[in-house]
Amino acid sequence: MIASGVHLFAVTPGASIPADWYPGTFPKNIDVGVGTLTDSTFCFKSFRSTLEVGFRCGGNVTLWRTSISTEEEAVIEIGSDSYIANASIVAAKRITIGSRVFVAGGVTIVDCDFHPLDPAARLADTIALAPGADRSKRQPLEIRPVTIGDDVWIGYNATVLKGVTIGNGAIVYPGSVVLRDVPDGVTVVGNPAAPGEGP
Amino acid sequence: MTAEKTLTIETDWYPGSVPDNASLGANVYIDTTYAFAAFHSEQREGLRIGSNSGAYQRASFVVGPRGSVVIGDYTVVNGAYLVCENKIEIGSHCLIAWGSLITDSWPSRRSTVAERREAILAASRNDRRPFPEVGGRPVRIEDNVWVGFDCLIMPGVTLGRGCVVGSRSVISSDVPPYAVVVGDPQRIVRFLEPTDAPLKADAIRP
Repeated sequence: MIASGVHLFAVTPGASIPADWYPGTFPKNIDVGVGTLTDSTFCFKSFRSTLEVGFRCGGNVTLWRTSISTEEEAVIEIGSDSYIANASIVAAKRITIGSRVFVAGGVTIVDCDFHPLDPAARLADTIALAPGADRSKRQPLEIRPVTIGDDVWIGYNATVLKGVTIGNGAIVYPGSVVLRDVPDGVTVVGNPAAPGEGP
Repeated sequence: MTAEKTLTIETDWYPGSVPDNASLGANVYIDTTYAFAAFHSEQREGLRIGSNSGAYQRASFVVGPRGSVVIGDYTVVNGAYLVCENKIEIGSHCLIAWGSLITDSWPSRRSTVAERREAILAASRNDRRPFPEVGGRPVRIEDNVWVGFDCLIMPGVTLGRGCVVGSRSVISSDVPPYAVVVGDPQRIVRFLEPTDAPLKADAIRP
């Protein structure tokens, strides 16, 4: 726990947090720098990566009420000094976030749509997803990794979808849905997000 | 755990129960009875879920006294809200993603101030539930529809078979079958091949 009443705890591979409201442990296959803190092991509830390192994170990163979710062969990478608040980061292959990135509340970052678009494949996917069904029969998915540069600010409730690269110093206005790459230093706004100043 | 024919769910963190007027098919999964914390349906069958469907991640059934919800087979309701005062029907093989809200009971933009005032005042006579008098216009979601995350599906809407609603869309008018619709206001960006036409779908189903 750190000072000023903010209950944050070091992310330690394989460890649990004393008095954590969620009865979990941090995954063993994570590589986390010094000073990286979170509020609960709930952060890793949907972390399913079986890679040697499924979560690689620099130091002094804050993961507050954030979901670090991965499929079995996926990795999430974060630089140092980034602040991620109440966001969902869901990787099927790879999501890379730079240093000094601010990800605001309600943000979702995904590298995959997690279901096929084709109606017949989608119908088969619902069968493979039924309670107790064989998940290995799930349909192949289109996966395109996401890369977010350094010093990017991503506003509340924004969405970053598969295949997007956001350049250094860019700003994603709150509520935007980002489908296309964002160049360095540009502000994007809207659904779909386009360069602009915001309302 | 499977909630079939049980009133409570083992390992449930919420001290609730499955409503008596809910009928759940074989192999239905509901992660917590918190889903029913705001379930007030007084209909004979306030909720029907077919076989092999699941409600995950605190999916919530917010249902008024006259409301009823019907969900088909092999449908995934993953952290979505169903706010129902009249009728919400969801077909089979649908995928409803997190944060989406499907409602049949938001006041029409043609409603008058007097009507809305009466509705909000009625909340204090009715267990503080908002909009108890708003009638509602049924929502129908046909088979094999995919609703992305954080969408709004507004009253009176029908989503046609096989259509896809992109994340964070706001849908306030009908979507034709096999359309891919995105944005707010909604717009159709393409049509999919109907590769799951009913006869072909029967071949895929177990």
